[in-house]
Amino acid sequence: MGMTDITQTDQTNRSWTTRRDAKNRRMNRVMNITGGRVIPTDRIIEVLEEVLVPGDRVVLEGNNQKQASFLSSALAQVNSAKVHDLHMILSSISRPEHLDIFEAGIAEKVDFAYAGPQSLRMAQMIEDKELTMGEIHTYIELYGRLFIDLIPSVALVAADKADRKGNLFTGANTEETPTLVEAAAFRDGIVIAQVNEITDDLPRVDIPGSWIDLVVEADVPYQLEPLFTRDPRHITDIHILLAMMTIRGIYEKHQVQSLNHGIGYNTAAIELLLPTYGESLGLKGKICKHWALNPHPTMIPAIESGWVESIHCFGGEVGMEDYISKRPDVFFTGQDGSLRSNRTLSQLAGQYAVDLFVGSSLQIDSYGNSSTVTKGRLAGFGGAPNMGHDPGGRRHSTPAWLNMINSDEPLVRGKKLVVQVVETHLTGNTPVFVESLDAIDVKKDADLAIAPVMIYGDDVTHIVTEEGIAYLYKAKSLEERREAIAAVAGVTPVGIKHSPRNIDRLRQEGIVAWPEDLGIRRTEANRSLLAAKNVEELVEWSGRLYQPPEKFRSW
Amino acid sequence: MTTAFLFPGQGSQHPYMLRDLPAHPVITRTLAEASEELNESVAFWDAESELESTVAVQVCLLVSGVASARLLKEEKAFPDFVAGHSVGAFGAAVVAGALDFKDAVRLVRMRGEWMEKAFPKGYGMGVVLGLSEVQLKRLIDVHVTKANPVYLANINCPRQMTIAGAIPDLRRFMELALANGAQRTELLDVSVPSHCPLLHEVSLYLETELQRISFRDPDIPYASNRTARVLKTGEAIKKDLAWNVSHSVRWHEAICLLYELGTRLFVEMLPGNVLMGLVKNAFPTARALSISDNGMKTAAILVHRTRNN
Repeated sequence: MGMTDITQTDQTNRSWTTRRDAKNRRMNRVMNITGGRVIPTDRIIEVLEEVLVPGDRVVLEGNNQKQASFLSSALAQVNSAKVHDLHMILSSISRPEHLDIFEAGIAEKVDFAYAGPQSLRMAQMIEDKELTMGEIHTYIELYGRLFIDLIPSVALVAADKADRKGNLFTGANTEETPTLVEAAAFRDGIVIAQVNEITDDLPRVDIPGSWIDLVVEADVPYQLEPLFTRDPRHITDIHILLAMMTIRGIYEKHQVQSLNHGIGYNTAAIELLLPTYGESLGLKGKICKHWALNPHPTMIPAIESGWVESIHCFGGEVGMEDYISKRPDVFFTGQDGSLRSNRTLSQLAGQYAVDLFVGSSLQIDSYGNSSTVTKGRLAGFGGAPNMGHDPGGRRHSTPAWLNMINSDEPLVRGKKLVVQVVETHLTGNTPVFVESLDAIDVKKDADLAIAPVMIYGDDVTHIVTEEGIAYLYKAKSLEERREAIAAVAGVTPVGIKHSPRNIDRLRQEGIVAWPEDLGIRRTEANRSLLAAKNVEELVEWSGRLYQPPEKFRSW
Repeated sequence: MTTAFLFPGQGSQHPYMLRDLPAHPVITRTLAEASEELNESVAFWDAESELESTVAVQVCLLVSGVASARLLKEEKAFPDFVAGHSVGAFGAAVVAGALDFKDAVRLVRMRGEWMEKAFPKGYGMGVVLGLSEVQLKRLIDVHVTKANPVYLANINCPRQMTIAGAIPDLRRFMELALANGAQRTELLDVSVPSHCPLLHEVSLYLETELQRISFRDPDIPYASNRTARVLKTGEAIKKDLAWNVSHSVRWHEAICLLYELGTRLFVEMLPGNVLMGLVKNAFPTARALSISDNGMKTAAILVHRTRNN
């Protein structure tokens, strides 16, 4: 008998459809409840108890904006004698029940990207051994792993509307739903979608019904947070100074045409200065044309003034729906007119396809490594590390990318611009520039494989503070890099301890620039430069198409 | 969204705090219960001269806290969580349903007496503003000696800590703190160095006494002082009540935990408004109110509204 015979015998005996068979068995168990694809609202817990098997890998949709809140609440109520030891995959651990399921023994292990809203509890539960940590991922890594070695057995997602065939309308808040569904649907996982409404009349189909196994109409609409709305009222003169320096000393200097902005008042200030300060510098049409960005309301004046050619969005933003649907030249919209967002694709675009990322941080060390974790908290990263690094595989050239070249070696390539804009101190006089990141303690306390650094120092090309700009990509040595950071670190441990003696040389060589070196007078930096000073003015700029949520209305 | 009731500790007392309680049969009954357990009328324990003793202060705070919660209960306003700062934890345990009020009155009286005996004079507590927990601990590690110990006592909010020890040592340390970035320091009007290992013996006495008392599992989850965890068993609460007096009160962490658990309304029981201020400072998106500032009626209405949201 040769090897071939053995192999053939094995092939005849082995089933190649174990996953499909398992799915069919599970689906058969709920046939009497669902009939077709629709789960009666009041029987969701029963269905979850039948469909889920101990040890299942379950992806539960939830990020910093949209939450499958009906399904997560239902999951927290299943009988843990029937359903236990689930391995949860969550983009964002946001809602109390995301961790209640671990306390109740329903789930055991977790992989996630962000846990800001539950970061203390995460740290406590790890300390108390109430859950097992998988990894803290970045969004793109987490989505990628869904197709490699974290393939879900069950996906629990949220959509606006479904029809009885399971076709989904996810509309402006499509976000990561298609990615999560695809990972489960095409590997014999079970996909359950909660929807705000079941109707025969869908505005458009974002996800086809053949990818969806079951739908359930939620008793209340899914949770949706207006996370990217920044009230211009809270923008300070220092934010404006930082914004002027960034526009002048980075966007203009390097001809930045495509970019991502983080969430924060520094970047909101930049957005509101484009139509005023940017215009006065004659930069319209030259910079900031293409964006990977959520529909920030503070972008409205720049859009209305003709600065913006295109915006691709990770998600939607509450209140921006009508405005977006009337600006299809700028936003990605469907035939129904509403926004189509896609978190995975926009993250990839923000990682590979744009010139620049601007973010902020709570701590930066003397080499430019930055972190938003603080002691006793386990918050994770979300998407900032995806966009806030130089993707080494990039090939396409743009003026800004090429502008980072700092040598004449034959194989030299460009660099993504990764900019950190921070004030040297947080409120309460806490220094941002520190000798050692809290992340190092958090690694020890939570027994992590690596310290949770948000953006690595060697990826950072610029740091902007109220003192000046450090052009780190120009530093010729690690020591010079440290000097440049110290020069803009102000009266912080880093700024005091490493205060360079030769700041004049750094300025002459363009490694550091003060506002006056950029032609900016500090006294000019005030709120009168803002294109809109409050939410009401944003509404006016939008032709009253923007409808801010209640909590942002003061009139 | 959920509601937490907060029970204040020492520092919130004021003269006539019991006699100032609203006139209501529930209050009368609560005072009577306490008086029965004390074998004298508690109504007079709140005189200015009486409140010089930590025993009276602690008992009055317990009575006032429990009376407030009972009055809210009359208005059908119930908490989803309870938390008490230091001695406030006893009121929280009563309202959680883990401990009988009369047992609590007896225990708190003994707690006060033991604390008073443990350190007759020369000891106390101070407050340090403007340093983080990490910074303060580092200062203690580097500069404080075993012979003249100063301890980190309460972590009230990220930049407000209290320290405990002998008065001269506290004074020295506060100068050191000011030289190292603290914005303000102040000696507190407290005669006992609470929430540090100096009170280890008081914890041992309390533990023995607590063993005689039957605890129930709480109806309402209770956020602990010592571990900043939500406790759901009577045994765990018993342990917290015995040991919180000789350990740091991790108040800020406990409040953060309640916030993460979905609490968006924090109601401070009578008397005072210190805890309300700490919540407002740390969580601008939460609603914090005190019965002393906002009144019983407003509190009840907001509790109902939070529940229905």
